[in-house]
Amino acid sequence: MTLNPESFLALATLLFGIGAVGVMSRRNIFVVYMSIELMLNAVNIVLATFSRLHPDMGGSVIALLIIGVIAAEAALFLAMIVQLYRKKRTVDSDAFTDLAQRRLS
Amino acid sequence: MPEKIILTLLGLFLVVGALTVVIARRPATNAIGFLAVLLAVAGLFALLNQSFLFLAQILVSVGAVVVLTLIVILTVNLKEEQFPKERFKGVWIVGASVLTAPFGWLLYKTLVSVANAFPKTQKGFGSAEAVGKSLFTDWVLPFEILSLLLLAAMVGAIIIGKKEQAYDIES
Repeated sequence: MTLNPESFLALATLLFGIGAVGVMSRRNIFVVYMSIELMLNAVNIVLATFSRLHPDMGGSVIALLIIGVIAAEAALFLAMIVQLYRKKRTVDSDAFTDLAQRRLS
Repeated sequence: MPEKIILTLLGLFLVVGALTVVIARRPATNAIGFLAVLLAVAGLFALLNQSFLFLAQILVSVGAVVVLTLIVILTVNLKEEQFPKERFKGVWIVGASVLTAPFGWLLYKTLVSVANAFPKTQKGFGSAEAVGKSLFTDWVLPFEILSLLLLAAMVGAIIIGKKEQAYDIES
């Protein structure tokens, strides 16, 4: 086995950083959703790497549970996107300010 | 060293897919990049000898999440003029990258400082049997809580996805 853990950790960090940039800089709500998923997957890579480094199955079990959480998050987020689109006819994240502003009416 | 070559290819796949997710303009293109990232992550699990995680990643993330995402993107069916106006997208992306880079470096250094070389794999590491034994002895409570979370997410998704007047109690 010639692999070293640094490359896996570097890939995970890169994936997390790209996901964070996507959440911060884009306004299309689909991109925000996919960037959140990218960050969750980066966490999964780190967990799998440490589970392999420190031979213990706990890390893989947590990664498995996180895959379940990713599925739950996807279902909720996509239902929310459909509902918001039905209401406002846009996917611009700047348009969804119902909770931030007081509505006069 | 075939493993190094596979790792390089997977890394390339992962980075290109992730950049596609962040940079591309059309949601369907983003979803294809997202698919590439999830497949590359599954490949990394396979390289780490986590065969059960590899299987779960393919089944759940690629089989369910990407398909659901694509279905929603196709259902919403945005026209070209309905895309959000992002006039300074490049500036925003570069600015956010500059802001994120030092934190990413810090994260990488922290992670590497606790890592040493990979030990020899024992027989059965990462198999469904090993994961299942650990899951149903040490991790039963998180597993049960996750099942409740999934139920709540399913009910919530149905309620949110309904038509507006369906849960308007006052009228």
